[in-house]
Amino acid sequence: MFVDTTGRRSKVLRRLGLFLGAVCLAYAGVLAAAFMGWGTSLNPSSLLPFGTSAEGGRAPGRIRPEGGIGRQADLPDTIRPTASPTASTTPSASASASADAN
Amino acid sequence: MTTPTSSRGRRRAPTRIERAAGRAAALQRPRVVLALLLLLALTCVMLLDGYLRAEVGGDQRVRSGADSSEVPDAILDGGPILTFRGGQATTVSVPAKTIALTFDDGPDPTWTPQVLDILRKYDVPGTFFLVGSMVSRYPGIVRTMVEQGNEVGIHTFTHVDLSYQSASRVDREMEQTQLALAGAAGITTTLFRAPYSSETDAVDNYSWPVYQRLGKDGYTSVFVDTDSDDWKRPGVSDIVKWATPKGTRGTSVLFHDAGGERSQTIAALPRYIEKMKAKGYTFTTISGVMERQRAADRQAAGGGTPAGLRLQAAHHQATGLTLYEGKALVAAVAVAEWTVPTLSVGLAIVGVAVLGRFAMMLVLARRHHRQRNGRRFAWGPPVTGPVSVIVPAYNEKECIANTLQSLARSTHPIEIIVVDDGSTDGTSRIARDAAESLGMTNVRVVRQENAGKPAALNNGVRDASYDIVVMMDGDTVFEPDTVRYLVQPFADPSVGAVAGNAKVGNRTTVIGAWQHIEYVMGFNLDRRMYDLLRCMPTIPGAIGAFRRDAVLAVGGMSEDTLAEDTDITIAMHRAGWRVVYQEHARAWTEAPGSLGQLWSQRYRWSYGTMQALWKHRESLTDRGPSGRFGRVGMPLVVVFQVVTPLFAPLIDVFTAYSMIFVDFRAALLAWLAVLGVQLLCAAYAFRLDREKYRYLLMMPLQQLAYRQMMYLVLIHSCVTALTGGRLRWQKLKRTGEVGTPAGAG
Repeated sequence: MFVDTTGRRSKVLRRLGLFLGAVCLAYAGVLAAAFMGWGTSLNPSSLLPFGTSAEGGRAPGRIRPEGGIGRQADLPDTIRPTASPTASTTPSASASASADAN
Repeated sequence: MTTPTSSRGRRRAPTRIERAAGRAAALQRPRVVLALLLLLALTCVMLLDGYLRAEVGGDQRVRSGADSSEVPDAILDGGPILTFRGGQATTVSVPAKTIALTFDDGPDPTWTPQVLDILRKYDVPGTFFLVGSMVSRYPGIVRTMVEQGNEVGIHTFTHVDLSYQSASRVDREMEQTQLALAGAAGITTTLFRAPYSSETDAVDNYSWPVYQRLGKDGYTSVFVDTDSDDWKRPGVSDIVKWATPKGTRGTSVLFHDAGGERSQTIAALPRYIEKMKAKGYTFTTISGVMERQRAADRQAAGGGTPAGLRLQAAHHQATGLTLYEGKALVAAVAVAEWTVPTLSVGLAIVGVAVLGRFAMMLVLARRHHRQRNGRRFAWGPPVTGPVSVIVPAYNEKECIANTLQSLARSTHPIEIIVVDDGSTDGTSRIARDAAESLGMTNVRVVRQENAGKPAALNNGVRDASYDIVVMMDGDTVFEPDTVRYLVQPFADPSVGAVAGNAKVGNRTTVIGAWQHIEYVMGFNLDRRMYDLLRCMPTIPGAIGAFRRDAVLAVGGMSEDTLAEDTDITIAMHRAGWRVVYQEHARAWTEAPGSLGQLWSQRYRWSYGTMQALWKHRESLTDRGPSGRFGRVGMPLVVVFQVVTPLFAPLIDVFTAYSMIFVDFRAALLAWLAVLGVQLLCAAYAFRLDREKYRYLLMMPLQQLAYRQMMYLVLIHSCVTALTGGRLRWQKLKRTGEVGTPAGAG
């Protein structure tokens, strides 16, 4: 009973075990990296708001759900910048794609 | 917390099953590594889950009433937005007739989506100061939040008062939250609000350095002008009243979208927005406020047109390692969020099953004891005819003489067939000499080539002269009345086999005492229960009696499994025979004396049990008596001898976790309560067998060492069964110290 005569089962299980072990190790690694702050430098000093940083960096902010119902209402007394929606089209698309990949 | 009470008191001689294949041996070491890795991952999952729920590393301290002598007055009296542009502390106020709605402590799966719906309905943006642990648990809400055009800021990862934390902990709190944001919405942010902060005039000497440090890192700290105090749940109208600024002043107003029951906030928010809109206020985010101030400055300086509105200017797209690490973190949290509740449910089920089993055992054992010892109870007319006793022996020179000596005093007429399974230590000669010196004429010694215990038993059954055969081990000692008691149930023609009561003789050592407890519980609770349920899975090899015809009819002992006793017992059930337990028929057996021997014995038992169950798996779909065993016996054995022990390590991990991180006292009490239940059951079993209670003192220790060993053995044999490695026989070392029953009490 139970004896694996072909050796196929043991091979499959060995691979499964290897995979499982790798997953466990990766899991522990991810947590260690995330919680010890390895590999990330999130010091935002180089990304100070209102600095001279590129427009593209602000892309996620320009997403307008439902085709352009934007945030215009909050500033009725200023001239609506017509350029901004078009300028943001490309980066916002990429931003939403990366968000969806989650 | 279970003790696998599957004792059957038997011992084995080698069979011809071949040696373990090289494959199995090669798998051995990687297996241990894999087990340790799994344990590591489980620990990680639990620590992560505990960290997210502030069980691990949580800090409830909140500072209040501290001095603010070292904080510049410009900050204390300044606007709610504090930046350190160019290393200089600068505050920004909210322009007149402008409101920055800020929400703290989210996201929350119940309230945050409702807040977002309201904001969307009124088309106003908000700024959410998010707790990182919540972001990682509910990333979808944050994604929607950002996509809707709201701004987000950091409210630390675990909502701790940063003024109590070390600089590195502060950094980690910020970075972890950034990672969570990156994983959830693909962004990082430069906005920050300290937990337990309020208006700028509440900045004190302890929190000021934190703001300075974070400011130099580039963070913008955001405070409050108007506090709705919605967390106090004062009623909708009070929330609206408190959130309303005086006159036409601009304000950064604080609401909470998480951290408790927030239905009042949800009700107050639309009323507040409508009221303020009616007053001519407009709504923007924190970045929107800063942008307007900059635009106003520029206009004041005679500059050009205002720049484009950037309501989420504090956001930056996360890229590269940060993005991937963030996604990995969110995925890891999702795994933990899914794993821990699943395991908890599994454990709860196992816990209920185990306690239910204890209750059932107590009830049925009591009923069994009453029934069988009632004054009017009888199996039928007394069985007085002679029976055959089969003693398979392989290298039993230390014990065989004792065994024969005990049989010589039998009060029931017997013939003894010693089957020497190719011993190399002169067992046959010793047996013959012993029989001669004892003046026994009813002993026959049959020799065979070494062929294993099943073959030896079959040989003995074939040679038996009588209808009833008693099987025992070569190292087992019977009491004078044992055989007489054991065969009485055969007065009932439906009884096909009888299990006796095996006792551990060598119980003076710790390991012997543990096995003694296990045997007493196994025989007095488990076996009585199985007897009444008519599904006893095993007749112990050390003491059992069968109808000869019935054994031959089911094909005798089989070499298919390593547990031929379980195999034949199940086969008897399936053939429609009743299998009963006779508590008064006692046999004294020598339990393994070392951990290594115990391990290999139990390894074989659990492996053999699984083999036997698998061999008879068709009983699950059978009709009649075979189906009855399949429906009742199989599930019981599978659940309590395989599944429960497999869950046992989790019980230990959860117990250790609760003791360390949650509530030591409560966890210890729970553990003691379960121990108490087990002690109670054990004490009852001891009472039924009239055993001395002092061995129960070993029980707490048994929970800390023996139990773990038993489940490791079970896991080991499960893995062997899975990988298909062969299990090899090992003869247990015997000392022959178990002599007369009187000497072993």
